[in-house]
Amino acid sequence: MTAPAGERLYLVTGASSGIGKGIALRLCGLGARVVAIGRDADRLGELAQECGCPERIHPEIRDLAADIELLPQYVKGLKEKYGKFHGMVSCAGISEIRPLQILKYENGKRIFDINYFAPLMLAKGLLDRRHNVGRGTSLVFIASIEAHLADKGMSFYAGSKAALIASVRSISREVAASGVRVNAISPGDILTPMTAAVEGMRNDRSHLYPLGFGTVDDVAALAVFLLSDEAKWITGQNYILDGGHL
Amino acid sequence: MTHEEFLEKFQDVLQAEDPLGMDTVLEDLDEWDSLARMATVAFLDSDFGVQATFEDFTTMKTVADVARKAGIAS
Repeated sequence: MTAPAGERLYLVTGASSGIGKGIALRLCGLGARVVAIGRDADRLGELAQECGCPERIHPEIRDLAADIELLPQYVKGLKEKYGKFHGMVSCAGISEIRPLQILKYENGKRIFDINYFAPLMLAKGLLDRRHNVGRGTSLVFIASIEAHLADKGMSFYAGSKAALIASVRSISREVAASGVRVNAISPGDILTPMTAAVEGMRNDRSHLYPLGFGTVDDVAALAVFLLSDEAKWITGQNYILDGGHL
Repeated sequence: MTHEEFLEKFQDVLQAEDPLGMDTVLEDLDEWDSLARMATVAFLDSDFGVQATFEDFTTMKTVADVARKAGIAS
């Protein structure tokens, strides 16, 4: 596989843990530079140490739920600081189980702010043709299998991810003429240090996954492929990555 | 809105690398494609409350023409 490497610059959100961290590490390992956005300075520092090439990790501490309207300007500032981007992987998100009985508009707005509006406003900044390298630029949004399921208590979360996937299709049309690609990945249950500790998840849901639970590496591998020129004819797609669940 | 403010905003709408002038001819811009026209129509509506259509671009040839459409005094 052609690696999206060698002096390429990517923006990764949610980079301090889980899928975002795994993608940042993989990109860095392939020689790319990564602007790693997260909220936790210590954990971003650990990422830089862990990758073995700290000079290629550029940690940026930012709460993406704050000042969403200003995120395009934020990306402009990052471009002036680090250079033009080859792409972005949007991983930052929140998940809450909220049955109808305790559904609150305020919770819904927060979920949509973080899972939908912030990624799109970041994309607006990065897809400004002055801020990316043009042809070959690739964006990947981490959605969720919940956008395709009907699990109880996931109405806001599922809605936010389904909205993200729908917008990916629309945006992909807008930027295709520039040779820029936009795709989504909908992972199923991924084993992370956090979820691995949840005994209930392992016991109650393992039968749903013929190939077992996914790993961060599974998602990172597909994300990196979609960023690479090997995927140059792929845009506007959403990949369900779920070990045979659906 | 001053001329300078308009030029800055319209440059962002078009994502133009170079600053615009009032005498800039829209067709001369690399960025002037169908999406830019769509963005300009939306810009006139959202920022100035002005309804425009693609047909208006038969008479709007320069940045100054767009500014006039927006109601910015020349």
